[in-house]
Amino acid sequence: MLYTCLLPACQSEQHLGQYYTVPPSHFHTVFPHGLPPRYQQQVKTFNEGCVMVRQPALELISHLKRADYSKPTLRYLLYGVKGSGKTMSLCHTVHYCSTQGWLVLHIPDAHLWVKNCKELLPSSYHASRFDQPIQASNWLRNFRTTNEHFLSKIKLRQRYVWTKRESTEEGRPLGELVDMGVSRVKSSSDVVGAVLKELRLQAGGTEGGFRLAVAVDGVNGLWGRTTLKKEDKSPVAPEELTLVHNLRKMINNDWCGGAVIATLSQTGSLYAPSSAYLPQELLGEEGFDSMDPFVPVPVSLYSEKEFESCYLYYLDRHWLQHPHSQTEEGKKELIFLSNRNPSVLERLCAFL
Amino acid sequence: MAASLTGLLKPWTPRVLLVRWSRYNPYYLEPEPRKEVYHIPETELTPEQKEERELKSVRPIKAATNSVTSSVFNDPVLSKFVNMMMKDGDKIIAKGIITQTLENMKRKQVEKYHKAPEGKKAEIECNPYAIFHQALENCKPVIGLASIQKGGKFYQVPIPLTDNRRRFLAMKWMITECRDNKHRRTLMYEKLSQELLAAFSKEGNVVKRKHELHKMAESNRAYAHYRWW
Repeated sequence: MLYTCLLPACQSEQHLGQYYTVPPSHFHTVFPHGLPPRYQQQVKTFNEGCVMVRQPALELISHLKRADYSKPTLRYLLYGVKGSGKTMSLCHTVHYCSTQGWLVLHIPDAHLWVKNCKELLPSSYHASRFDQPIQASNWLRNFRTTNEHFLSKIKLRQRYVWTKRESTEEGRPLGELVDMGVSRVKSSSDVVGAVLKELRLQAGGTEGGFRLAVAVDGVNGLWGRTTLKKEDKSPVAPEELTLVHNLRKMINNDWCGGAVIATLSQTGSLYAPSSAYLPQELLGEEGFDSMDPFVPVPVSLYSEKEFESCYLYYLDRHWLQHPHSQTEEGKKELIFLSNRNPSVLERLCAFL
Repeated sequence: MAASLTGLLKPWTPRVLLVRWSRYNPYYLEPEPRKEVYHIPETELTPEQKEERELKSVRPIKAATNSVTSSVFNDPVLSKFVNMMMKDGDKIIAKGIITQTLENMKRKQVEKYHKAPEGKKAEIECNPYAIFHQALENCKPVIGLASIQKGGKFYQVPIPLTDNRRRFLAMKWMITECRDNKHRRTLMYEKLSQELLAAFSKEGNVVKRKHELHKMAESNRAYAHYRWW
């Protein structure tokens, strides 16, 4: 049984190793950003998006079902070797959260905020911090696509003043704030901070009653070093960036009514050795102390059953075209060459 | 000469053992990369194979080059193409370009396959290796031209080509076409995949060049008797 049609909410251990299809209507709303680029190419080629049901994602979903949301937020950390499927498990969990009607705050890659920034403006709100207008406005645009239906329901509880002539009053819907952030690029980082603060305050409330899922990929980028430099060529510390500062406040567990799901990532990380994958090594002391206590979820390479399932899926989709790859010997060679690592297997099967 | 001397050689090993040579003493034997040969159990060997095995246990064997593998996915024609594409001995980049080309071709064809209606699905060829081999076949010229001097002037004379020469010409034309006639911003693998797919359906510049060579040979038919071999 290769395919199961159930949505994430109804999946259980019997469906381990099977593929479920993300409905095409969900694709553009739930995942405008956040999927790995090679997976996006695969979705375009096969004309459908299939995700394998794996143990780490099921574990996370069962924790989310049974957690108590009146207590402070639980933080879950997915870790594993490079290419073992951490980002895909995160996306599976995000799909579950959005089918359950949660508000999803998905940051596709925290490393994109600490490197390769063309414009660094000094922040208007706080003298020593720096703003990143492009990244913030991109993220706000994607946030708007993901959570359309929440934007009109949530009302602001505080008045925000942007410049001498512009301010957003109390009681206005969140959508107006987000639109203003997308159009006024200069103050978009402060808008992001305001949005995060509002959501944090209102998540556990009994009268609005939505649950907030903060999904961060590459969370080890928030602590560590950046490659950005100030005008006098001195390095910028991550605390001095508004986006990073506000995101750190979200990851603290001083609010209730939601969950924080994070992934470590060595691929985009700065100044980290390529063999490092454990939380201690990648987060560093400062990061580990801020994330502590968290629920670690290890993501391993494919088991035999999962490898079989992946191989059969590629065969079914006419992806494995080389005549020898469809024989037993070819399969043994694929196991040997890829060591059952999901991303290596995907790259191998791409040209075979 | 080496073949006749082989019988006269005495058992000998050199003082200093080096690897990665290309010129060996004829005493050395060729390596055997195929796995099936070693899987035959003792009982099923013919007398010649047993003799060969005993000889191999005594004589030194040449070092295998980096391009031979015992993998089932090894393709000699593709290896030749990779070697021709290689510049400055950088095989990693050349192999990378070829794998990206194969992937790109497969992606385009599989996308077309999944979007096609049921009746048309069987006609779409998705195997990038089959497309590559067929495209190369379509680009191979049947007859070539040689410059022969007769009475002080040089004439372009149509001559038959060996299989190796035809394969070499097809690959060479493909690579030069993709290197010269592409836009500055198109990547090599993108242009190669477009050309290979065009050659598969007998369109494109490389097939045009082959046809022009055939036309030249046809127009110079009168000089065919200048060939003396």
